[in-house]
Amino acid sequence: MNPRVILSTAIIGLGLIIAAVPQNTTRPYKVDASQLLVEIKNGQQFINPEEVADMLVQNDPSIQLIDVRNPDEFNSFSLPGAINIPLESILLKDFEDILNQDTKTNVFYSNGTLQANEAWMLTRQIGFKNNYVLMGGLNYWVESIANPQKPSNSSANEELARYNFRLAAGSALGTGSSEGISTETKTNTSPLTPAIPKIEKKKKKPVAGGCS
Amino acid sequence: MGPLAPNEIITENTNLFLAFIVGIGFGFILEQAGFSSSRKLAGVFYGYDMVVLKVFFTGAITAMLGLLFFSLFGWIDLDLVYVNETYLYSAIVGGVIMGLGFILGGFCPGTSFCGAAIGKIDAMLFVVGLFIGVLIFQEGYPLWEGLFKAEYMGTPRVSESLGLSYGLFALMLIVVAVGMFWVAEWAEKKFPREEY
Repeated sequence: MNPRVILSTAIIGLGLIIAAVPQNTTRPYKVDASQLLVEIKNGQQFINPEEVADMLVQNDPSIQLIDVRNPDEFNSFSLPGAINIPLESILLKDFEDILNQDTKTNVFYSNGTLQANEAWMLTRQIGFKNNYVLMGGLNYWVESIANPQKPSNSSANEELARYNFRLAAGSALGTGSSEGISTETKTNTSPLTPAIPKIEKKKKKPVAGGCS
Repeated sequence: MGPLAPNEIITENTNLFLAFIVGIGFGFILEQAGFSSSRKLAGVFYGYDMVVLKVFFTGAITAMLGLLFFSLFGWIDLDLVYVNETYLYSAIVGGVIMGLGFILGGFCPGTSFCGAAIGKIDAMLFVVGLFIGVLIFQEGYPLWEGLFKAEYMGTPRVSESLGLSYGLFALMLIVVAVGMFWVAEWAEKKFPREEY
């Protein structure tokens, strides 16, 4: 047979197959259990309260706080700028645009870290990125940012710097005590920049290309 | 799994390196298909040689089928594959300029480099013209910025505008392409040229 006829038939056949099968709508990028375990072990999902407070104080538009507690708890107390997505509704289609995106850093929080962690695990497992968990939850937030414990005078400089930062952030966010900012750092170097490990942000970007 | 670079399976630099290899392959295929001859390329406008149409349509439907099957097997996430944004007026005006240049010069940008690489003087002149065009565009940018950015449409796909699934549209395109191949071969017999 004419090779052109064979080729034409083959390619039309492939076209028929692709037209007949349903479009693949499953997300091929998923995290498998072992990868998830590695991430959990490293605590990759946690974000420091200081870092969150810093971003909030600076009105950083790239942070989105997500309260995963129930609406009653959310209404009685929430962090500034937070939205409420209760854990039960985390898989609803309505919230996919918020949870699965490239631009913002989502931070889940609950009273402790249990619910927030569950929210993170669920979203991580379906392949969503840029979601994090507020380390220590609201309890630790209230303890550290809203009512920081004054370190003893003999503490390291970083301790004092962190304390000053927390006081400043707490009062700026309206959740802190009215105590003045301590000036007791030994060398008084930039008290507002505590040593916080930076979270590595990974962004998916399509590769530009083209031809002619 | 794929696309490899956005999913960070390979780094940006590896990606560039692969692009370099693929680019060399592309140039090789162009030259091997005879695309470094402007007479052969111009044949598509006169009907005596339709190799341009055949090669590019074959490339398009092969890549299309490949992507759709890869997506079906879960090897690539089509949502992450880059699609050129459509600026409607830019596309039309640019298409007309490119088409005119193609008829006048007998090359398109890729094939002109191909021709220049094997020492064709007309192709080298075409490349010079290409850079003059780039310079004019660049220096006159404020003049045509409005037109350049007008009618931004995002990344519309023909299948979406028609309300068809990717697969059905692919089948239609394949049928059209195969039909076109037969018409092209008929045209080559109808308007033959001995030496070109």
